[in-house]
Amino acid sequence: MLSIMPNIEDKTRPRISGLSRGARILRGLSLVIPATVLALMFLTAIFADLAWIGLPDVGLSPYHPNDQVLKERRLPPAFIEGGSTEHLLGTDNLGRDVLSRVIHGARVSLSVSLLVIFITATIGTILGITAGYLGGRIEGFIMRVVDVALSFPGLILALLLATIIGPGYMTVVIALSALGWAGYARLTRGESLRIRQSDFVAQARVNGASTSRIMLRHIFPNVLNSLIVIMTLAVGMMILAESMLSYLGIGISAPTASWGSMVADGRNDLDRAWWISTFPGIAIGAVVMSGNFLGDWIRDKMDPRLRQL
Amino acid sequence: MSKILLQVEDLCTSFFTRAGEFKAVDGISFYVHEGETFGLVGESACGKTVTGLSILRLLPEPAGRIVGGKIILDGTNLMELSKKEMRAYRGKMISMILQDPMTSLNPVYTVGNQIGESVRLHQGLRDDKVEDEVISALRLLRIPAPEMRIRDYPFQMSGGMRQRVVGSIAMSCRPRLLIADEPTTALDATIQAQYIALFKDIQKQTDVAIIFITHDFGVVANICQRVAVMYAGKIVETAATSTIFKAPKHPYTSALIHSVPRLDRKDDRLYSIEGQPPSLLDLPPGCRFAPRCPDVQEICHKQQPPIVEISDGHSVSCWKVK
Amino acid sequence: MTDVILEARDLKKYYPVTKGLLQRTIGWVRAVDGISFTIERGKTLSLVGESGAGKTTVAKAVLLLEKLTSGSILFEGKDIYRFSKSQLKMEYRPRVQSVQQNPWSSMNPRMRVRDIIAEPLVVNTKRTKEEIRSRVLEILDQVGLAPNQVDYYPHEFSGGQRQRIAVARALALNPDLIVLDEPVSALDVSIRAQIMNLLKDLQDQYNLSYLVIAHNLATVRFMSHTVAIMYLGEIVEFGEAEELFTRPLHPYTRALISASMLTLPEDEDKGVEKIILSGEMPSPLNPPPGCRFHTRCVEATDKCSKDVPEVREIGQQRVKCHLYADPSVRSAVSKGPDAGPAGK
Repeated sequence: MLSIMPNIEDKTRPRISGLSRGARILRGLSLVIPATVLALMFLTAIFADLAWIGLPDVGLSPYHPNDQVLKERRLPPAFIEGGSTEHLLGTDNLGRDVLSRVIHGARVSLSVSLLVIFITATIGTILGITAGYLGGRIEGFIMRVVDVALSFPGLILALLLATIIGPGYMTVVIALSALGWAGYARLTRGESLRIRQSDFVAQARVNGASTSRIMLRHIFPNVLNSLIVIMTLAVGMMILAESMLSYLGIGISAPTASWGSMVADGRNDLDRAWWISTFPGIAIGAVVMSGNFLGDWIRDKMDPRLRQL
Repeated sequence: MSKILLQVEDLCTSFFTRAGEFKAVDGISFYVHEGETFGLVGESACGKTVTGLSILRLLPEPAGRIVGGKIILDGTNLMELSKKEMRAYRGKMISMILQDPMTSLNPVYTVGNQIGESVRLHQGLRDDKVEDEVISALRLLRIPAPEMRIRDYPFQMSGGMRQRVVGSIAMSCRPRLLIADEPTTALDATIQAQYIALFKDIQKQTDVAIIFITHDFGVVANICQRVAVMYAGKIVETAATSTIFKAPKHPYTSALIHSVPRLDRKDDRLYSIEGQPPSLLDLPPGCRFAPRCPDVQEICHKQQPPIVEISDGHSVSCWKVK
Repeated sequence: MTDVILEARDLKKYYPVTKGLLQRTIGWVRAVDGISFTIERGKTLSLVGESGAGKTTVAKAVLLLEKLTSGSILFEGKDIYRFSKSQLKMEYRPRVQSVQQNPWSSMNPRMRVRDIIAEPLVVNTKRTKEEIRSRVLEILDQVGLAPNQVDYYPHEFSGGQRQRIAVARALALNPDLIVLDEPVSALDVSIRAQIMNLLKDLQDQYNLSYLVIAHNLATVRFMSHTVAIMYLGEIVEFGEAEELFTRPLHPYTRALISASMLTLPEDEDKGVEKIILSGEMPSPLNPPPGCRFHTRCVEATDKCSKDVPEVREIGQQRVKCHLYADPSVRSAVSKGPDAGPAGK
C-alpha cells in the first residue's frame, strides 16, 4: 500500500530524480569507494598479523613493525629510483618498513577511535536524552556540565593525564572520552527537545507510557539517525585526534606504530624522506574522508521514510 | 464576454524520479478570461499546484519538466520564452500567492523591504518612488496604517495580516494574472471571509484575472465564476460555478460535492467515495476515476473518455456523458 | 437523569508572560478563562473556534497533557485531579484516548503499525503477545484496514489510512471517551467523509463519547450532538447542535455560520450577503474589557465595552451576550442565520 504521490512541497526527500547518468554513477561510487576503503582498513587491522590466533608469522604485514635494519634507513618506496620491492613504501629513519607500520598503525588508530566513539556516544546519548526529555533542573545541571566540558581545553587535560598516568593507549582513550561525550549530549538533547514536542510523544503520554518507555521507544530511535551520522563522522575526527596526541608524544608511545606517531616521526625528514610521514598521512585522510561519505549515505538509509524511494 | 487572457492547451508536466515518471499533469486545457476568477479544484496530488507552477515555469528542475503543450498568455506562448524573458514576465505579468503566510515571507526583512524588492525589480523605480508604490500596494490590500506597517517585520503581524502582505507583494506590479494557491487555507473562517471579500474588491479595481487553486468547495463557490475539477492529473469537468454545484455531470464532481457535510442541513451519513486516488506511477489505462466510480462501465476501464462540451462552457470527460 | 461521562467546571489556564533577566512575570495570557461543559455518554460535544480561542488547551487538559491553573474535571463524577497516580493509570488514562489532527506526525515514524496500535495495550495491560496480536488484527479490521498491513511503517500509508490507524490505536483499550482534535482537517475532501462515517459508526457500535475540537462548522454539525462556540478563551454559546445551527444567538456564532455557508454567485446577485467581521481576534494577553467580542461585533453597544455579559439560558441554549439581557429582546433577535440556501 504505497502511496506514491509526488509531493512537491516535501523538501525532506532528497531529489535524486532527474539526475544524469553520470551523476548517478558518481552517487553510487560515493558509497562503494568509502565503504571499500573502510572495510579494507578494518580487515588490514585485523589481519595485520595473526598472533591473536596463535600464528605470529602469518599476516598481511611483510615485516614486524618494530624491526629495525639500521643500514636500510630511509629507503625510498619501490616506485621511485633507489627503491626496492623489498620495502614497497620504503623505510623510516630507523630502517623500519613503512608499509608494515602503516598496517599495524591501523590497529591502534581504528581501535582507539571505535572505543572512544562507543564510550562517548553511550554516555552522551543517555545524558542528552535525559536532559532533553525531562527538562527542568536535571537538564540545567547536565547542560552546565556539558558547557564546562565543551569549553575545557582538551589538550591540557590530555597533557595532565599523560603526566599522571603516563602516555599510552588508555591515556588517549580516557583523554578523548573525558570531554568527547559532551558533543553527543548536546546533539541528542537538542533532538530530544524537538521530538518531545511531537504529536506522537503526546500520544504516548495519553496512552500512559512511562518516561523510560518514551525515552527508549520513541525518542531514542528518532535520535539514532543523527547519532549514527555523527558517529560515522567521528571515526575520522577521532583518528585525527589520536594522531595529534601521538604526534605530540602524549599518545601511543614508541615503538608502537600509530599513524599519528608515524607522521610525527617523519617530520624531521620531510625534505629528504617524505614517504615516512606521507603514507600514514594518506591513510588518515582516506579513513576520515570515507567516514564522512559513509556517514551521509547511512543517514539516507537509516530513515524508513527514505528507504522506499 | 471579455477577452481570453490565458489559454492553456494540452499541458503535460511530469516529474522524473528513480521510481519512474510521475505524470503530475497529463494533458489539460483551459482558458481564463480577463478579470475572471477561475477555480482549479481537486484533492492533494491531483496536479493543481503543479499546473500553477507550470504556468509560472517555476517547477523544481531538473526533476519536474513540462513535457508538452502550450501556455499562451495574451498572445505569447510562455513555453517559447527564454529563462530571462520569463523572469521579466513573472511578477510583472503573472504572480503567485502561496498557501502559508508564515513561510512565504522572509523573516529578516521588513515588510516594506520585501514589497519594495519586487517593485524595484520590475519597474526600475528610484528609491523615493519605491516607497510610494509600496504604500499603495499595502493600501490596495487594505492594510491599516501602511506608512507605519512598512517598517514592521513579518513576525510582528498576525497570520491574516501576513497573508495580506503576501497579497501586496503579488499585486505590487499590477499583474494581469494572479495564481493563488490555497491562499485562504491557513486562515480562520472569519479571516478567510475577509480575505475573499477583499480579493473580490481588488479584482473590481484592477481587473486582474485570478486562478484560484483550492480543495475547498465552499471557497470556490464564493469567489470563482468558472471552475475546473481535477483528478489524478486530468481535468474531469469544467463549468460555471453554479452549474458545477447544481448540475455536476462527472461522477467524481458530484461525489465530491456530496461528500462534504452541509452546514444548512443535518446529514446522518455522508456520501463517501471508497478507495483512494491512483498512484501517478501506475495509472489505470482507461478513465482514472474508473476504479472508484459508482457508475463504471466496461469501456471506462479500457479507454480514456474524450472531453465533450455538453453545453456552452460546460465540458465533461466521462463515458456516461454523450 | 442524563448519563454524564465528563464534566468540566470553570477551567482556567493562564500562561505567565515573563520579561527580563529575572524572568519577572509581567502579565498572563488567558488562554482558557472559565470554561464549563458536560459530555454525555455516547454523545459528541464539539468545541468550535478559531485559532487562539483556547480549544486545544481544553483538549490537552482533558488528556492531562497540560496542567490547569484552576478548575476541575470530573470523570464519571470523580475529580481527576484528586486521583492518585495509580488511580489515573488504572481508571482514567486507559479510558480516555485521543486522535490527533495530523496523521503525519502523530505516529512514531520508526514503529510499525503493529507496534503503534499495540502500544496502549502493552503499556496498560498485562496481555500476552498472542492476545495483543489478535486484538491488533481485530481493531485493524474494524477501522477498515487489511491484516497484511500490520508490518508496514506509517509513511507507507496515505493520509486517510493513517488516520484509520490513529483511530485504531485510540480504540485499542475500549475507551469510553475519545478526544478528537481536528480529526479530518488534514485529510483530503473525499477521504474526510470516510473517516467521519467511520467515527460515527464506531460511536454507535461502542457507545463512545467524543470531545471534538474543530474549526469547520459543517464538520461539527455533522459530527456533534452538542456544540460550544469559543471565542478568546470563553464559551460564548452552548447548545444542542440542531438548535444552535438553526437558531444561532450570539453575533459571533452568526458571523461564523455566515462565513462558512456555501454561497453561489447567484445567491449574491439575489442579495444574500455574508457577515464579514472586521479586524482579528485580539490577543489573549490583554483581552478587551467588557464583552471580549465587542471589538468586532456588529451589534455592539456602549454597554458591551464596559460590562462583562452574563451567561443566560434561552431555551436549551446558553449564550453570553448583552443582547439577551432584556427579556423583550429575546424573541426579536432569535432568527435563523442570515446566509441564504445554496444549491443542492
